[in-house]
Amino acid sequence: MGSDDVNKLELLSTIGFNGDVNGGLIIHPDREHMVYPLGCTVIVRNLNTNTQEFLTGHTNNVSCLTVSKSGKYLASGQVTHMGFKADIIVWDYKARSLLYRLTLHKVKVEALAFSPNELYLVSLGGQDDGSVVAWNLKTAQAVCGSPAAVQSAGTTFTVKYANNSDDVFITAGDGTLRVWELDLQNRKIRPTECNMGQLKRIVKCVEVDDQDNFFYCGTTSGDILKINMKTKLVANFGPTKGKFSQGIADIRILKNGDLLIGAGDGTVALVKGTSAKYSLVKPPRKVSGSVTSVALRGEGHQFFVGTKMSQIFRFNFTDFKEELIMSAHYQPVLDIAFPSGCSALYATCSGNDIRVWHTQTSRERLRITVPNMICHAIEFMEDGHSLITAWNDGKIRAFLPESGKLLYIINNAHNSGVTAIATTSDCQRIISGGGEGQVRVWDISTNPLTQKLKEAMKEHKSTVTCIKVMSDNKQCVTASSDGTCIIWDLLKFTRFQMVLANTLFQCVCYHPTNHQIITSGTDRKVAYWDTFDGSQIREVDGSMSGSINGMDISPDGKQLITGGDDKLVKIWDYNCGTETDIGEGHSGNITRVKMCPNLQFAVSVSTDGAILLWKYPCRE
Amino acid sequence: MDGPVESIYNLIPTVVEQPPKPPRYNSKFKPMVKNEIKQDRSPNKTMGPAKVAVPTPGDFLKKRSKEPVLGEQTRFAHLDDSSKKPPVPRHDERPLLGIRTNKNFINTNAVENIMSVPKKPLPKFVDTRRGDNNFLEPSGLVPKYTKKGDYGQTPEYLKKRNAEVKRAQEEYDAYIRERMKLGAMQQLSLEEREEIINGLKKNWEELHHQYQGLSVVTDTAPKKNRKERMEAEMKQLERDIELIEKHKIIYIGNN
Repeated sequence: MGSDDVNKLELLSTIGFNGDVNGGLIIHPDREHMVYPLGCTVIVRNLNTNTQEFLTGHTNNVSCLTVSKSGKYLASGQVTHMGFKADIIVWDYKARSLLYRLTLHKVKVEALAFSPNELYLVSLGGQDDGSVVAWNLKTAQAVCGSPAAVQSAGTTFTVKYANNSDDVFITAGDGTLRVWELDLQNRKIRPTECNMGQLKRIVKCVEVDDQDNFFYCGTTSGDILKINMKTKLVANFGPTKGKFSQGIADIRILKNGDLLIGAGDGTVALVKGTSAKYSLVKPPRKVSGSVTSVALRGEGHQFFVGTKMSQIFRFNFTDFKEELIMSAHYQPVLDIAFPSGCSALYATCSGNDIRVWHTQTSRERLRITVPNMICHAIEFMEDGHSLITAWNDGKIRAFLPESGKLLYIINNAHNSGVTAIATTSDCQRIISGGGEGQVRVWDISTNPLTQKLKEAMKEHKSTVTCIKVMSDNKQCVTASSDGTCIIWDLLKFTRFQMVLANTLFQCVCYHPTNHQIITSGTDRKVAYWDTFDGSQIREVDGSMSGSINGMDISPDGKQLITGGDDKLVKIWDYNCGTETDIGEGHSGNITRVKMCPNLQFAVSVSTDGAILLWKYPCRE
Repeated sequence: MDGPVESIYNLIPTVVEQPPKPPRYNSKFKPMVKNEIKQDRSPNKTMGPAKVAVPTPGDFLKKRSKEPVLGEQTRFAHLDDSSKKPPVPRHDERPLLGIRTNKNFINTNAVENIMSVPKKPLPKFVDTRRGDNNFLEPSGLVPKYTKKGDYGQTPEYLKKRNAEVKRAQEEYDAYIRERMKLGAMQQLSLEEREEIINGLKKNWEELHHQYQGLSVVTDTAPKKNRKERMEAEMKQLERDIELIEKHKIIYIGNN
């Protein structure tokens, strides 16, 4: 199994956006690309063609992102585990390659800022680090560092460079607002504390005007502080009435002095920056989810808004109306389902959301939301007339696939949540597995619409993680985290065969010929078993590091695909048991992988909410 | 399940072939209409628009032209401003220097002196051998007041005052006479007057006798009150006696 004969899987597109990063959505100064973080990668997406490029290099989630004034450099910071040092990566934008890796901050890099002439980069450490460091971009060496705030102040959240000087920058945060001056000869940065008087504010974002006369601070109280850069005094603050609910997350200054504001309750507003009242220029718009970044395209004739719900909206300045251009899951994605025989659509479930995506365009076609519940598994009925979903409140819900309306609910299907679900190809039965270990078979009739418990099979001792039905509907196999896989007889509702291994089984698949099953789990092995006598045929090391969470087998039975905690998607030759292709791109643990029925694509999903669409390797 | 059955496959977006846009509609009557409009230019309306004076461009509404016109402002002046001295020169004011008069003081002084009448010397007297002299007029050696015209006569103001007193007395007498005539008054005879005085004195004496008999120590409130009351009564009697003794002739009004 040499690395020479392993091909790279071609990544077609990703659906995902980490909306939690403040100011994470950036429009590149070339006005054609959008840059945003997804897990530990940074995605550069062309706004016209929607093609994506990936900057990989971080070892953990990206926590901040910035672009230099000319667009030559990108810089991104990350978080790490407690006690480790967090990297800053400076990227060469043109080559889309890693330029420098700057390591000094502990645990988290909170914010970054380039100097206007791209001589320096200023980085701000997180709560556990609390320092501000200036880096020389020519030599990639630290010029100097200093504690970001006095001991009594709270966390510093943001750093911003002046627009005209390479020596002046601003840091702001919880009870701290400082203007720093860089003295290169003496290798010193000197702060001047801004006098805020009686005001107590937590500043989340700072924006400096063109002439460097004033800078505007967005606070968690929902008002704007205007600070004079020379005197370091508060010029004014407002609005005093009608503050922005849940705080201001991002501010952008337009050419005419007006301010674009993104607020925590999803409000996007345009206020007059020249008056102390900060009165609204246009009626504000409200988008779903709290706004975390506002990015101007060019001078701001068009701007983009990113929210915590991992949605990106495009606003036209003149009509001030939003248009959803990208949506993604904002919670771990737990399952994928293709309608039978169709590659054009697939459904994913994440948290309380179920979304149906169009494969070609990666656009969302349908969204079904059940508030405060978690959907563990989804499955399409063979006829495509309903979408069966398994929920953590112990209910099985079936939805109409076009309108997303609820078709029926099976209440109390499992008393500790439904964790796995499967349907038979005659659309007459649903087989569900629960957190308590029961496998239940439900009879579904469409006219009249009734659901009846046919049988409850109690053999598993722990959560049922995966259910697969044999193509003739006479048997099914269930995998459980108690270390067993059971093949059930669906005519007599008894155990037909049992497979035991020292692992928490995560997934199981029938070979299309129904003679073999393959299992995988936390022991990082892919095991082949005979269905007739339950004996092991073969065991293959599926992964070097993490457990395998998702597995799928091609309809012709020649290839299988796995994905797991090693964040790699691997395609295997079934007969040889060797890796043929590897896909790198996930930044979170992969939870599920699926091949499309027509063998054009493979879809993998991960805990960071990303959905990756791979081109299925064409072989004879 | 009623209504049309939903299917997941309907969610696949179908690319709708947009039929090509037909060319823009152009009426075939367009040239005809154009021609008609040109021909029938309302032949009965020959007068054209009414001729009115063209507004002049300088006639626009001017700023503050609608505000009331106020009279010219006058500076406030105090009434005594004309009699006041000119102000003290300011610290930065330079006095006019180098002004010279053309008056020929030598000539004018000489002429004045030549033309003037010499003063008469005041009469003086010499009282010592050495020739010490004093002015004669204030010395009292020359009779001055005895030579005055009203010397030795009653002064005018005294004459006026006496005449006034006399006239007032006559007026009063006339008034009394008139009242007596009317019977509205009655004169108190001398006997009656004497009788009243004696009666009052007797009363006073009785009171005084009692007063003298009072205890020496006035230690209680009733004693003090009594003493004070008696003192007041005696004083009143003394006043009455004095009043009657002062006037010899007393008239008593009838009402």
